[in-house]
Amino acid sequence: MGNMPFRPDAAAASAAAEGSVFVSDDPRAIGWVKQNVPCQNACPAGTNVPSYIRSIVESHYGESYEVNREANVLPGVLGRVCSRACEDACRHGWPGNGDPVAICHLKRVAADLKDAGHRITESLYAPTGKRIAIVGAGPAGVAAAHDLSLFGHDVVIYEREEKPGGMLRYGIPEFRLPRNILDTELHNALRLGVQLRTGVAVGNEPDQVRVSQLLADYDAVLLATGCTAATPIPLKDEWEKREPTEVPGIEYGLDFLVAMHRGVKKSVGKRVAVIGAGFTALDCARVAVRLGGEEVTIHIRTAEEYIPVTQEEIFEAKREGVRIKGLRSPMKFVLDAEGKVAGVEFAQNRLGGWREGGRRIAIPIEGSEFIEPCDTVIIAIGQQTTHDFSDTTLQLDRWKNARLGDNGMTSQPGVFAAGDYVSGASTVVQSVGHGRKIARRIDAWLMGRERHRQVVSIEPVAKPLRERADDFIPRQHMPTAALGKRVKSMACEVEAGLDRKLAAEEAKRCYLCNLRYQIDVDRCIYCRACIEVAPRSCIKLVGGVEIGADGTYGKLIETKEWNKIGAIWIDNNQCIRCGACYNVCPVKCISISRCELTEVEVTA
Amino acid sequence: MSSNVRHHIVIGSGVAGNQAAETLRERDPDSRITMITISRLPFFNRYDLPRVFRGERDWRRFIIYPADYYRRNRIALRRATRVVGVDSTAQTLTLEHKETIHFDSLLVASGAGAYLPEDMSEFRPLLHGFGAFRDAIEVADALPKKGHAILLGGDTIGLDLARTLLDTGHRVTLVAGPYTFWPHEVTPEERPKYVAALQKMGIVVVEAQERGGIAGVEKGAKGLAARRITFGNGSDLSGDVVMPFFGVAPSLDFMLGSGVDIERGLLVSPNLRTTNENIYAAGDVCQIWTDSEHRYCFYHGWKNVRAMGELAARNITGANEPWVPPQDETLRLSKDGKIQSPFWEYQ
Repeated sequence: MGNMPFRPDAAAASAAAEGSVFVSDDPRAIGWVKQNVPCQNACPAGTNVPSYIRSIVESHYGESYEVNREANVLPGVLGRVCSRACEDACRHGWPGNGDPVAICHLKRVAADLKDAGHRITESLYAPTGKRIAIVGAGPAGVAAAHDLSLFGHDVVIYEREEKPGGMLRYGIPEFRLPRNILDTELHNALRLGVQLRTGVAVGNEPDQVRVSQLLADYDAVLLATGCTAATPIPLKDEWEKREPTEVPGIEYGLDFLVAMHRGVKKSVGKRVAVIGAGFTALDCARVAVRLGGEEVTIHIRTAEEYIPVTQEEIFEAKREGVRIKGLRSPMKFVLDAEGKVAGVEFAQNRLGGWREGGRRIAIPIEGSEFIEPCDTVIIAIGQQTTHDFSDTTLQLDRWKNARLGDNGMTSQPGVFAAGDYVSGASTVVQSVGHGRKIARRIDAWLMGRERHRQVVSIEPVAKPLRERADDFIPRQHMPTAALGKRVKSMACEVEAGLDRKLAAEEAKRCYLCNLRYQIDVDRCIYCRACIEVAPRSCIKLVGGVEIGADGTYGKLIETKEWNKIGAIWIDNNQCIRCGACYNVCPVKCISISRCELTEVEVTA
Repeated sequence: MSSNVRHHIVIGSGVAGNQAAETLRERDPDSRITMITISRLPFFNRYDLPRVFRGERDWRRFIIYPADYYRRNRIALRRATRVVGVDSTAQTLTLEHKETIHFDSLLVASGAGAYLPEDMSEFRPLLHGFGAFRDAIEVADALPKKGHAILLGGDTIGLDLARTLLDTGHRVTLVAGPYTFWPHEVTPEERPKYVAALQKMGIVVVEAQERGGIAGVEKGAKGLAARRITFGNGSDLSGDVVMPFFGVAPSLDFMLGSGVDIERGLLVSPNLRTTNENIYAAGDVCQIWTDSEHRYCFYHGWKNVRAMGELAARNITGANEPWVPPQDETLRLSKDGKIQSPFWEYQ
């Protein structure tokens, strides 16, 4: 499909009214979507959230699933374990608008409620004859493998574990992510001819496959090995140089979870201290409860408000009996006469400045040390990358992660990298998004050109798709398994999923921010009826508008003086797409168009 | 009003908030004082609520100040008003109905609400609270003459209520656990003698842990008591009302995202100032840095809370005095074996 010119707003409104559909690659159109659809913009995979939620309103669950799969191949997985940057950005959660839409739960609805015989639709390119080796079958590797196979390349994944999934399988407990869901979605992602070689380690041992050999055998190599090494815990005095895991009862959280998911029988004592503040720490604590820990406490350096875990996860952990204690930094471990761990010495912290991502700096207070007794310690303060598996030297960044060029390639020609191996420990959705992005880079490098490009499709919508009453629907709560039942089983999924009724109610809450409301100023009679009926100050009389660097419209310059009014304007940033203005307009000068980011094929 | 008149806002109309407002008026006579409370009632004696069970059901008799007190002291009292956000940089707060108010100084004295452990949250609709006058009336209505009240947890607020319920001819069963005697810290060695004292008072004590923990709360079968508690070991307990007493949790939702440091409560220095120089906190909502313990501590009880309100107001108006708790927090037994909590000394 060739380039089509961007049509100015008025023309777009006119086109919408006439029923035509067109696409645009004008930066202003792309900028509008990025600015006005905050959930999609926040999603590392770029999921078209309003579109898949709209499909749920219409009970088209399979269609909703497919919309999800365009951006991420694991909707059923991410509908359970996503970190939900979209919900933090959701316009419904902005001050005065209530709670964000349960976007993640609705993603799960699409996966769970689609027909059992749902047909997955994917467009395949012709075979290219290019061969790509991917090291690691975690979320980044699987997402990249899927997209590269769609592009017609032959893909082989090397995975050292017995089963694919990486941290999804070996890091996340089954009560958060049932393995049948994971297996199905991995199968669907890899079914287009991807060869999966599990139990085959890439490394420098005699029985392992070398990266240099892969480079010789394949046209490109993608390293997606993730962050598999636990971050060492910084301690004081003699513990500065001592390896804590040599002490019976102390273990790193990642090793604890991986061993358990490999089938090793794990146990904990009665008083378990988990040190850390992320999803891994929370998972370890909840696993410890299920293993019989009677007093399980997560010790964090700052406070609950600042830790990167969803409130729902914190609440469910607390329901299961996990306690969270804040403002403390571990200093050393206390051992009993037999050399087993008997407690953790902490220092009291005060909060310091702010770190990236809304997190806080914690500053230990000298002389404030105290001891928390325990018989098991699980350290879950983070993960980091390792490079010892590779016989090929790569340039690293300051965080010791692989450094990539703009083309997604490492310093070694032909070797690409994706996911946590590049970014450091991140989230599943970030890994999926990055895997997908690097797949496009690899394809472009192999084929000598970009074969996809981003455009905006602009489609007229005949009438508002929401009712004002939808704005007053409260966020629907996720039903959960009974407490007594769930803590007795590692496999009992805690979140039960929304049923059709709950899903329909929740889906109706979405503002559908991809709908663009515009006023045709040439037809407007300035009756102000729309201003009177608008529930927010979203319709403005303006004297001008600031223009952004990319040509997008910025802040409106409002005026109340009639002789200075240049236009009447719907501020789509404030607009909650209730449709009240459209319904009240006596001259029907308000139009609605659906603006969605999409990709089109670029012909040679 | 001239622009140099300071506007002090106090959030909360409990003991701390009212003491603070009174002190602010004394020390800054020309200032503008606004007190915002979510409560519909003016300042009433929360500690006195057990009187409801002695037949006192007229809310006017619980009110501390006469009707014209606030007018005389030029304190604008805004009742039934919810604060939804505070912007510490702009020095404004936002009310639920979207009104924004500027402040020169803000004292957060919003107190604390009853804490319900997360594993009990699903039973909330079947539990009777005891934090407000209306709650007390509802319990009194639900509890028949010589009725049976089951108290869960058993903090000092609950045990105080238990004394009144026993005096008024009701039966009381305490499902005891880690929160029994909260906020007093009772060692495992001391605990049996205090439990024995409860039993001597006439309270039937059931240790939740010995019965496998509380498994559920449900409606009683037709013709039986209104509520039934089931335990992990399969046993059960029936009563007319079930009331949770698991201590309190600070009421500070509106402060999230305000830019002021929070752990469990608002973190304040010994002079009760938060991490923002214009915002102070007093009462159950704050954790005070305590040098002697090298940690942030909560201080509860009427005397402590009132002293905090006064100190915060003094420091807002120019003093810079540190917090010294005036109240001994030790749980004791009298010579005749009765439990004595300093938190009950409010009359």
